[in-house]
Amino acid sequence: MFQQPQIRFDRSWYDSFTRRIEQDGPWADWQLFQLAYTSEQHLTVPEFQGLVTPQHLPDLNLLPHQQETAERVIEQMHGKAILADEVGLGKTIEAGLIMKEYMIRGLAKKILILVPASLVLQWAKELNEKFYIPAVPQRKAYMWDQCDIVISSIDTAKRQNHTDAILQQNYDLVIIDEAHKLKNHQTKNYQFVKKIKKKFCLLLTATPVQNRLSELYYLVTLLKPGYLGDADSFFRDYCSGKNKVKNEEKLRELINRIMIRNRRSDTEIDWPKRHIESFDIPLTPEERKVYDSLSTLKNTDVALSLITLQREACSSREALYMTIKKMLASAHSPSTQKILQAISDTIQEVTTNSKAKKVLELTQTIDDKVIIFTEYRATQLYLQWFLQQHGISSVPFRGGFKRNKKDWMRTLFQSNAQVLIATEAGGEGINLQFCHHVINYDLPWNPMRIEQRIGRIHRLGQEHDVHIYNFATKNTIEEHILHLLYEKIDLFETVIGKLDDILTRLELKNIDQEIADIFETSDSEGELRIKIDNLTSILNAEHMEQKGENAQNETGSHT
Amino acid sequence: MKQEAIHDYLYHYFKASGCTILENRPGFLKIKLTIELDKLLMNRPFYWHYVEKLDQRGETQTLALKTNSEEDEGEFIHFGSPRLHQIFQSSKTLSPSIRLYEALNPEVSQAPLYPWLGLNTKISYCSDWKRDYTLSLGINLVNGTIVKSFQKSMMILSLTPKIPDFCYTLSPMIKPINGLYRLEKIIEELIQNDKHDWANIAMKRWEADLQLLTQFYEDYEGEEKITALFEQEKQALEDQYKPYVDVTIINGGLFYLGPDAIVLH
Repeated sequence: MFQQPQIRFDRSWYDSFTRRIEQDGPWADWQLFQLAYTSEQHLTVPEFQGLVTPQHLPDLNLLPHQQETAERVIEQMHGKAILADEVGLGKTIEAGLIMKEYMIRGLAKKILILVPASLVLQWAKELNEKFYIPAVPQRKAYMWDQCDIVISSIDTAKRQNHTDAILQQNYDLVIIDEAHKLKNHQTKNYQFVKKIKKKFCLLLTATPVQNRLSELYYLVTLLKPGYLGDADSFFRDYCSGKNKVKNEEKLRELINRIMIRNRRSDTEIDWPKRHIESFDIPLTPEERKVYDSLSTLKNTDVALSLITLQREACSSREALYMTIKKMLASAHSPSTQKILQAISDTIQEVTTNSKAKKVLELTQTIDDKVIIFTEYRATQLYLQWFLQQHGISSVPFRGGFKRNKKDWMRTLFQSNAQVLIATEAGGEGINLQFCHHVINYDLPWNPMRIEQRIGRIHRLGQEHDVHIYNFATKNTIEEHILHLLYEKIDLFETVIGKLDDILTRLELKNIDQEIADIFETSDSEGELRIKIDNLTSILNAEHMEQKGENAQNETGSHT
Repeated sequence: MKQEAIHDYLYHYFKASGCTILENRPGFLKIKLTIELDKLLMNRPFYWHYVEKLDQRGETQTLALKTNSEEDEGEFIHFGSPRLHQIFQSSKTLSPSIRLYEALNPEVSQAPLYPWLGLNTKISYCSDWKRDYTLSLGINLVNGTIVKSFQKSMMILSLTPKIPDFCYTLSPMIKPINGLYRLEKIIEELIQNDKHDWANIAMKRWEADLQLLTQFYEDYEGEEKITALFEQEKQALEDQYKPYVDVTIINGGLFYLGPDAIVLH
């Protein structure tokens, strides 16, 4: 039977009032008294539903999907949700919006935000500047206790002395960025987050289900224990065989009530176009000789796989040389040493870098800001030097840079240099919308990483069409990656949502591994082609099926 | 709150707090603060501590505020700016209680003023959702009459902090503190007579989630570590959903009013 809600009177005012009566004052000014009442009237929120935050932040340009997301999280998900928008749709904005709404309504005061170390300051900046939320990066131990809104990296937070302090707090809201890192329930991080006392909780991730049903289960269970039942029954009900899903409809419905995933294609944003151009670059005879010489290592005792070396050879002689040098230093058998030495000598004969020359040519014709992505530090250094020789200034960028340095490099690039040369890890956590050209100097195995690269510039705020140039050296492993794999799955044209969906559905846990295996275990070019064809046809079939489903859903909704 | 309304608010706020208005035109306001407001708004406790320790006269700061973002000088104030909320907050701090007399102008005989207790409250309905409204009540401390919208009635009267000539106050039959308790009762009744679908729904959500949680932990019954976690999760659900009504007091005071001040309906 329903009871009346409990009424809590705050009587703290009574005492001071009766004391003033006894002491005959001090009494307030009538005008101020009225102003205090007026301001409180303005601060009341008369409706349960809807957002009041936009009234408070007129300068914040919210996109429809961001506002809808915040409303759904608050009204339908009751403050516990996984925010899983595709990269670049503004998850931070959504989280900030939800946080601000709860703060204005007085439902959240004590808030903890756990993010990767490299993003702590960026979060602080965005929350303070865009939302006027006084969030502070954790620096001193007393802050857990004393500050209402603290941002910290999970690695800092889980240190013993901090952990104890954190677990004593009663948080109204906990926000965890890059939550997919918590997918393993046996890790310390997971156990730690589970123990934090929290009323509302947001988990942010761009890759919610990195392919395994169990990961999804544990992420949801962290948010709402019991929502998907206990582990045994969950796997019994939804899992058939190795990583196959059953009762998918039902599961999807359950998940949709706790997770929001906006896709670029669903937003009504007019995304700038992507223009893709691929270049097959012939090797010079010297370069070819180096590439071919690597096969002499096939039956030796070197630990590194041939493919790794071949990919380096495709990048630059510098990249390859660094590795060969290291291998030479640690090689035991004289025969291996001899082979390595021969390769090293062949490398010395190379005088030009065909890809670098192409970079130069392209950069000069583009005559605008360009980002070059390479997988190798040595190549990065070489390219910087090479462009310098031709009067083109560039700035390096690496994932390992401290936040300040990253910001500084970004600024340098924006104001002083035409080119930014980034290594793979540099792809994350920085926005470079002012640039519209990306050169994929060499290609990573994992298609998702390509998307992350492009996502640096093809994101909210980009007003121009985006140009993507893919480099592949002719008749090498790179060409296979580009033509056999990437182009067949329409990688560069499609937006990420489809791809990661496909990968998820197929349970291709480690597509990089999958691809590497194909290359390593294929004895002939023919075999390689067949295997890659197989892989891409599976991907494409899945893609078609999805398209079909979508089309069906659309027609369905019209009737 | 519109920008013009914010400007007006700021102007009246600083003027009422005794600050010197250096400049006041649409969209812009420049004020020399009083010591009291400097301490409240400028966040420099060490300065004031130091000055007072040395027994010196401190220099208060000048504050330039713009409600038109295109003005060159000044801090931009809009409804979401922390400064405005700080000022809102301080207006409450500065005016918790009041005592006023109706400025009657009796020409011949002595006029009686009735003591009223006025109370401005904010009432919030809270679960995982929340909404609130303000409620202003007044009680006549002689005869116990209670009226709504008391603050609104006061705003159209002419009131003064000093008892006017030829007026005298009647002694309250009801002690102010008892007046407060009577008002509490009325507020409680008003709340209880309101609809509480929101609380009903929240209870249902709570029960549903609690059920899921209980099933989840059932298998582990008796394991100490797990029980602690279960208790914690249960508490979290209670914090999230349990419906309650919060009544906070914005401000209040004693109002000595002539017999015709309050028109009873």
